[in-house]
Amino acid sequence: MADFAIGRSGRRFFAAPGRPLMLIVLVIAVVLIAAPLFKITLVTLAPDTIKAWGDVLWSRLSPNLFYKPLTNTLTIGASVAGGCVLIGGFLAWLVVMTDVPFRRTIAVLSTLPFMIPSFAAALAWGVLFRNDRIGGQVGFLEGLGFDIPNWLAWGMVPSLIVLITHYYSLTFTVIAAALATVNSDLVEAAQMAGAKRRKIFFGIILPVTLPAVIAGGSLSFAGGVSNFAVPALLGLPVRMQTLSTRIYGMMEVGQTARGYVIAILLVLISAFFLWLGNRLITGRRSYATITGKGGRAKRFDLGGLRWPLCALAIGVSVFSTIVPVLVLIASSFAPSSAALFSNWTLHYWMGESTPAIAQGLAGIAYNPDILSAIVITIGLGLCVAACGTVLGLLVSYSLVRAKRGVVPTVVSQLCFLPLFVPGIAFGAAYIALYGAPIGPFPALYGTFGLLVLAATAFLIPFAVQTGRAVIQQVSGDLEESAKLTGAGFLRRLTAITVPLSIRGLTAGALLVFVKIVRDLSLVVLLFTPTMPVLSVVAFRYASEGFAQFANAITVVILTISITVSLLANKLQAKSQPWLKN
Amino acid sequence: MKRLFQAAAFLAAGTLVLPAQADDMNMKSPEELLAGAKAEGQVVVYSFTSRIKKVEAAFEEAYPGIDLVGYDISSTEQITRLQAEHQAGVVNADVIYISDAPVVYDKLLGAGIVTPYVPPRVADRVPAAFKAPLLAQRLSTKVLMYNEEANPNGPPIDNLWALTTDAWKGRVVMVDPLQRGDYLDLMTEIVLQSDAMAEAYEAQFGKKIALSSGARNAGEQFIADLFANDLILVGSTDDVNAAVGKLGQSNPPLGFTSYSDRRDNAEEGWALQLANSVQPSPGIVFPAVIGIAEGAKNPAAARLVIDFLMGDESATGGAGFKPFYVPGDYATRTDITPHPDAVPLSEFAAWRVDPAKTAEIRADIADLVLTLQ
Repeated sequence: MADFAIGRSGRRFFAAPGRPLMLIVLVIAVVLIAAPLFKITLVTLAPDTIKAWGDVLWSRLSPNLFYKPLTNTLTIGASVAGGCVLIGGFLAWLVVMTDVPFRRTIAVLSTLPFMIPSFAAALAWGVLFRNDRIGGQVGFLEGLGFDIPNWLAWGMVPSLIVLITHYYSLTFTVIAAALATVNSDLVEAAQMAGAKRRKIFFGIILPVTLPAVIAGGSLSFAGGVSNFAVPALLGLPVRMQTLSTRIYGMMEVGQTARGYVIAILLVLISAFFLWLGNRLITGRRSYATITGKGGRAKRFDLGGLRWPLCALAIGVSVFSTIVPVLVLIASSFAPSSAALFSNWTLHYWMGESTPAIAQGLAGIAYNPDILSAIVITIGLGLCVAACGTVLGLLVSYSLVRAKRGVVPTVVSQLCFLPLFVPGIAFGAAYIALYGAPIGPFPALYGTFGLLVLAATAFLIPFAVQTGRAVIQQVSGDLEESAKLTGAGFLRRLTAITVPLSIRGLTAGALLVFVKIVRDLSLVVLLFTPTMPVLSVVAFRYASEGFAQFANAITVVILTISITVSLLANKLQAKSQPWLKN
Repeated sequence: MKRLFQAAAFLAAGTLVLPAQADDMNMKSPEELLAGAKAEGQVVVYSFTSRIKKVEAAFEEAYPGIDLVGYDISSTEQITRLQAEHQAGVVNADVIYISDAPVVYDKLLGAGIVTPYVPPRVADRVPAAFKAPLLAQRLSTKVLMYNEEANPNGPPIDNLWALTTDAWKGRVVMVDPLQRGDYLDLMTEIVLQSDAMAEAYEAQFGKKIALSSGARNAGEQFIADLFANDLILVGSTDDVNAAVGKLGQSNPPLGFTSYSDRRDNAEEGWALQLANSVQPSPGIVFPAVIGIAEGAKNPAAARLVIDFLMGDESATGGAGFKPFYVPGDYATRTDITPHPDAVPLSEFAAWRVDPAKTAEIRADIADLVLTLQ
């Protein structure tokens, strides 16, 4: 009898609406996200590797292995957050609150930098500012006769500039959206009561937008902390290490246990600050709930500053988007960065191997390594976009249907966990788990499958976001009526939800595609010579001194990235409330 | 019962036959290997030198129909990759061409990831020391080089300790020893040669060396002082070469790099020259070893590549050895004429690396370097 009872309750458990789907989703989330992170922790606790914790945290090595890189990492995080809030906030304020000319142009330009991968900007910085400290080619400015000091060519300052120009578009978007919700009644009332602009700013605008400022700040903080490419390209030559470059260094020389320990610490640090940002926002949520039907307030009259501020805003955008792109394109044709616009040659694009150039490296069109990297990268992007979208749809579908309970909570938390995990640490965790055979399953190391798995897991949060938006758009009535006619889950999904939201889904898939095509930090550890991806090939060429090849490949990545991003934006017809009059 | 016995007999026969087959293949001449290699059609080489691209072209010309896929991967990275691939049960490479002998013997040969092979054609012309535990194809170097255009009268210093003085602050370049194993071997050898380093210290400064806290011997003291003197670490030897060798410099730095990179002087516009007279020694000379990956998918073609890399019957080794017949590389084959433009091996003052001794303290030195960065 007891058996029967268990059987029945078990059956009821599985028969609950959406339950099997929920369990499938849970298994996938555990395999893709929880297992690697659990395994990397487990590995460092094994008897012969637990010593690595001591090496990293309290030994004569720790200052160089952990504490100095930690200081650099936090300095980068804090400065990037500050810089991004200032620049992004300033641009958002200009666009939303003032009568600056060319508002639309500034708004579009301000969202562009995020489409340019950060390593592209770092390479472009090298082309312009590289000095002769480490030999090799000097940059364009040295070629013009300027003497570029070390602090401007290498290390913290250029890393910060490049990272801020990369991440400010993130804070711009978040803060602009918040500013657009500032209730004009409040502002007008204050104006009528005779409040000065200063008072209005600090008394009304700032408190209302503070959650957005904190959110934008903590996102760019996390971005700066987890970035690998920029400190690797600009910091390593002056021995400036961050936690992510340390992880890479340790993994590359086979000191994996130490690498894993630093990776775990980096995850904890990054998660802590994102959590802190979240906490601060939650505490202030009351401000954001002030609503009402206010019209758009009168824009701040900038007076004589209109044109100078417009020039400044456009200047910032041009410096962070157009200049790096042009510099990289020019550099992919110029034999010497010092003379960026002379002796142009197509060799780096379509030259055959000659011993005189770059140890006989052939141009992109004839270079089998690069060609296979292009195929693999695009294939990877497509697979991840497809897998991610399907998975994102399944996850959000199951979450929307079953709102309460332990399993949905676990699934939803797991699916957003990768947001807290820096790419390089995630890559390390994947190697820890899938680097060796698991039971009857062969090891995935060096296979295309591993890249797809890791990248899908890494981008799950974005895919789930898309899925949620899409499912919420489709009215539940349609779904209900289909259910009444006896349509199964798959049929409902393919006959109703997907066709109705195909634009949104495609846009989401395209964004996932772009994110993986231009990603370096996740794939840099999963890379094997037999399974090359473009960003890593470019990174390796750059560190071996073959700048033109690196830059030419980066131009290819940029072209893919920008085209697809623009396409996605077009499909999404993103709402940009701050542009409304 | 009978079947069981048969199975046991079959298994026993199998274990006996397998090594015999490998041995059999190891005894084949290149002509005998050719048919098998052609049937395999492809061979994958992990090489620690970018010259593999030149070998690739030459090999495919000599043996049309066999595609040599050469990957230029630093020794340190090869070791990490090969271990990871081995753990994953994946065999990507057929031929492993690598330096870092101290680690290779210990971690790759010891773990059965690489197996030795000596082409029978040249076996009688390679000294025993270079045939085991792995075949050394040539000797390579990491030595102090200077710019001979800026210093027409020879090296600007005569003692390694000069590199720790103010005159050379921020003007000594090398590759990060944590990224490239041969540089770590150089650091390790300096520590192993502490007696010579202490003697050289006296010659340079006129007094006995006093060790600062943390340094256990003159070698460690030298490394600490060198790093403290704003030593510049770069990512690859070509960066060192360009920094030191570039023509038209008035005050070029000094750097540790491969003697053989002097071969690119004309092509790249460099003026690299060996500082052979520096006391106690300009650096190290070490074997570049070659072997076959355990479980290689293309065993015949792999053996053919190694045979090819050892050079043909001409005095300079022909097409296969051509990329390595350059001043600064020393063939292990006794019948290849030494390159006329290089210091003969007998006059070359670099220390010979002892892989076993190096392996003993190498990890310690890596940690020491880590504390200095």
